[in-house]
Amino acid sequence: MLVIALAKGRFLDPSLELLQRAGIRFSENVASSRKLIFDSDDGRCRAVLVKPADVPTYVEYGAADAGIAGRDVLMESRADLLQPLVLDFGHCKIAVAAPKGMHSINGSDNPTVRIATKYRNITIEYFNARGIPVEIIPLSGSIELAPLIGLADRIVDLVETGRTLKDNGLEVVEVIAESSARLVINRASYQTKREEVLALIRALQGIQ
Amino acid sequence: MGAGLQLNNMKSYTQIPPGTQILIGPAAQRRRVLERAICSVFEGWSYEEIIPPIFDYYDVFIKGMGTGLEKQIYRFIDREGNILALRPEFTSLVAKTVATRLASAPKPIRLFYSGEVLRFEQPKGGRQREFAQVGIENYGGSSKTADAEILLIAVEAFERVGIPTFQINLGSVDFFGGIMDRIDLPSEDVVALKDVLNLKDQSGLETLLSRLPLEERGKNILRAIPHLTGGRAVIEEARKLVRNPRSADSLDHLDEIYSTFERLGLARHLTIDLGEIRGFDYYTGILFRAYVPELGFEVANGGRYDGLPGVFGKDLPAVGFSFSLDRLEQIVAPKLTAADGEPSIVDAAGGFEKALQLRRSGKAVKLCL
Repeated sequence: MLVIALAKGRFLDPSLELLQRAGIRFSENVASSRKLIFDSDDGRCRAVLVKPADVPTYVEYGAADAGIAGRDVLMESRADLLQPLVLDFGHCKIAVAAPKGMHSINGSDNPTVRIATKYRNITIEYFNARGIPVEIIPLSGSIELAPLIGLADRIVDLVETGRTLKDNGLEVVEVIAESSARLVINRASYQTKREEVLALIRALQGIQ
Repeated sequence: MGAGLQLNNMKSYTQIPPGTQILIGPAAQRRRVLERAICSVFEGWSYEEIIPPIFDYYDVFIKGMGTGLEKQIYRFIDREGNILALRPEFTSLVAKTVATRLASAPKPIRLFYSGEVLRFEQPKGGRQREFAQVGIENYGGSSKTADAEILLIAVEAFERVGIPTFQINLGSVDFFGGIMDRIDLPSEDVVALKDVLNLKDQSGLETLLSRLPLEERGKNILRAIPHLTGGRAVIEEARKLVRNPRSADSLDHLDEIYSTFERLGLARHLTIDLGEIRGFDYYTGILFRAYVPELGFEVANGGRYDGLPGVFGKDLPAVGFSFSLDRLEQIVAPKLTAADGEPSIVDAAGGFEKALQLRRSGKAVKLCL
């Protein structure tokens, strides 16, 4: 049986729809139930529902053989996973945003840029590669607020439509990476459950 | 200041440095039983033990491991100002010894080791920063026979510790290397290519290919690499793709190993994976990783590193692998038995004579105080 880690939240519905089209159906209502583990109708798959940022962890440790997660989450986690497929949903950008008109590279006179984000690793790697020291202000939500009240010079966050940024007087100044959903596979499962894993990859590939 | 000092003293024994652990009683016994079982397999194939030092000059490991892993090495400075390092792996130490002290010993030189190595990395998959490795090295044996030999030893080690289901994922750096020799890309592009291939990331590969100045034929070969994994058919498929001698020779070699395994009825444990190009810089031929269904991380890995002894002054072909004992311990429960049987309880008050008598006759005792 193949265990697939699915992210709760905005990824759940498109993930389930994709699996359904690939022939993996769940008769229970996965999205509205409070259960966290679901077996597919044919008994060949088991879905486990986890926090989006935890998908790479479940898969890297082999607690799940496969998973569906955003590229942002994968980049941030640095988990060592196979990433055979890009899926056609969850499109957005990982971007640096600043208050309108603050386009200079530093955004302030500080020799170090203060950046509010939940993407600590992505942010440090991106700015260090450009020779800019950053101070990470770790936040877990309402990141846009930080530069407005002087907590940070800039933010690094996911941008889907740009609407939230605009409403808060921010704009994208640099795009770090394009992100979308990806299928990830545990390295050991790829070897020890080869047939099942390849069948899943082929099925998902076939319907894109 | 006095209070601060006291607090610091407290800290040192109420806290545990990340990445360390202590094995007690049955856990320690399990470690030793597994270690002994695997080492006895090595001895059965005429490998001799080598017990290298736990530290050596930092340069030894840097020369051996190459770039990328140096950040994981625990370094320190001796009183003369030399930079030393706690061993992050055994192969460099063994290769150095073989290239110097054993330079004129008859070949092949077959050695095995067992001990702790230290790496400053995130503890993962049950492996701490200090972890136990047991492995073998074969120097001077031709790749034709030595590669199959060490793979067979790995198979027997799995069987000996009671793991019937395991998968050895076998690749060769020469297959990919031969392709790269022909298309001549800047080294940063080769690194980027390896990165996407190692993830089997098709879309990442397409993005990269779209900006690389390659002919369509070269691109198609690269596109095929992530899929070149499976049984013998993979080798045939790969043959149709490449014409360069380095890649072709590597396929012949893999084919030979696969045939040997087929003949011995062991092919079910072997998977050819030509997309497998991860590992230390020092690998030069085959490389492999072994997986078991119960664990998300590899439990053994190894490969050929013909260039390594040369770094230390003596050119010799070399191949080897190591098992991670910390990971094996999570999936096998060896039978633990006391060496001298169940202990007899002896009253300590005046019972020393009896205890001594029992011990002399080879029985276990437990003094009751």
